Amino acid sequence: MDTRALVSVVDDDESVRESLPDLLREFGFAVQPFKSGEEFLASEYVQQTKCLILDIAMPGMSGFDVQRELKNRKQQIPIVFITAHKEETTRPSVLEGGEVACLLKPFSDTDLLRGLLRIFASV
Amino acid sequence: MDAKVQHPVDEVKRLQRCISDLISVLALPALWQGGDSAQIGRTLIEVLPRMLQLDLIYVQLKDLLGEVAVELVRLAESSDSATPREVGAQLNRLLGDDRQKWPLRIQGRLDDRNLAIVPMRIGLHGEIGMLVAAAERSDFPGQTEELLLRVAANQAVIALNEARLRNEQKRLTNELDQRVAQRTRELHQSELNLRNTQAELANMTRVMTMGQLTASIAHEVNQPLSGIITNASTCLRMLDANPPNIEGARETARRTIRDGNRAADIITRLRALFSRRQATTESIDLNEATREVIALMLSKLQGNRVILRLELADELPLVIGDRVQLQQVIMNLVQNSLDAMIDVCDRSRELLIRTQGDETDHVRLIVQDNGIGLDPLVADRIFDAFYTTKNGGMGIGLTVCRSIIESHQGRIGAKPNNGRGVTFSFSIPRSPESAGGDRLPSSAQKPAADQPEEVARSF
Repeated sequence: MDTRALVSVVDDDESVRESLPDLLREFGFAVQPFKSGEEFLASEYVQQTKCLILDIAMPGMSGFDVQRELKNRKQQIPIVFITAHKEETTRPSVLEGGEVACLLKPFSDTDLLRGLLRIFASV
Repeated sequence: MDAKVQHPVDEVKRLQRCISDLISVLALPALWQGGDSAQIGRTLIEVLPRMLQLDLIYVQLKDLLGEVAVELVRLAESSDSATPREVGAQLNRLLGDDRQKWPLRIQGRLDDRNLAIVPMRIGLHGEIGMLVAAAERSDFPGQTEELLLRVAANQAVIALNEARLRNEQKRLTNELDQRVAQRTRELHQSELNLRNTQAELANMTRVMTMGQLTASIAHEVNQPLSGIITNASTCLRMLDANPPNIEGARETARRTIRDGNRAADIITRLRALFSRRQATTESIDLNEATREVIALMLSKLQGNRVILRLELADELPLVIGDRVQLQQVIMNLVQNSLDAMIDVCDRSRELLIRTQGDETDHVRLIVQDNGIGLDPLVADRIFDAFYTTKNGGMGIGLTVCRSIIESHQGRIGAKPNNGRGVTFSFSIPRSPESAGGDRLPSSAQKPAADQPEEVARSF
């Protein structure tokens, strides 16, 4: 059984779903990619996910919709939002709560690692 | 009465003359028609001395404020020429200020002569003016003379009041004209202001559109850049590992190249869209252009289990335009429909693409889905709203679609279906040669719906 912490990646962009998991595995996490918020929420991995890397702008459920749904389900999963729109990083709901970080695409591996370490340090 | 002792013949003559004079005086208003107070005064000093053999006549008329506006005098020919003002001053001294207390007749020196003077008030209290008649003969004024003077004064009152009314009307009309002119000037100024505001607004809209476009370009380019950076970072980490993960590094390097090419493609496409170059114009068969787009998107349609129906009209007139740009619009509309149907799980996902000639020399392309639909209230705004849908990197939003179609002198619109989903459509003018009849006559054309090229092609 895999004892590494599970990080789930939700992004409708295929290149992100391909590249990010490899990097996260290099960091030492277990990774599960999803192409939509709906797919993630319907999966069996929600319970095991220790951290969620979540795209904001997606067709169907947006990243914020997923965040709200998790809150409704009383699922306390730390979230790292990723977005290509700079203005979305300044929206209040992005930054509320200490368990949330936000990265503007394209982000460096060290920024991502720093965000993840901060989240896992506070867990 | 002295009239009774006169000879009957003389009496008749006297009466005839009196009636004739009276008619003359009564005719005065006809002369005054439309005249001002100066004209009325002039007529009085012209007519009355001849009629009554006067040696002096003086007329003074006041304006509405009570100031002397007209002062006229006519003297016997033998007399020195005293000015109206001098005669007026002499009369004031003789008669006194209180016009109510004026006698009917006064004997006094006026213009260096001893005269029988008859002052008449014009207006009940003399507020409009005064008319003074004087003669050297001792029998002045006779009964008829007094009557004539009185009638003349009354006629003058009526005429002056009319003149005043006319003046007041004229003044009001002028004031109204001035106000209208003023309002017109103000309105003109408002219109200028409005036009300036509209120009500013148009400029702001342009700036906002540029901002939106910049944001969307940033988004489009950042997606592959993000992949490149992540892949390259992963690649380095794999190579730095002990032992190095050569196979993994090779795979991530391959992906880096692929994302790099994708970024370059996007830049090329954006350059084609936004460069100031004249868009390449050629005759385009929209059916063919549509088939090419569908070929590119086939795997995506299949992957999303979309049932595609193509109803491409036979003998569709050609259009003139930029093929790449129009294909981008089609691709964008299809992608849009796909995004709208991604949540549809309770029914089959159906996409209809139809081309048709338009009754107004336009060619129309329709993309209809049965997705989540569209609030009718925002149907016009979705071409502005940029961030609500994500295009998966294939297009750059409905705003650009609209600007492309408008640059082709066409129109694009969206409306909710009666059932589920949305119908997007654009129409652009057919090419002039196409309208000329190098195609088959219209009787050979069959309605598009009768000849669906591919019906219910299920993936």
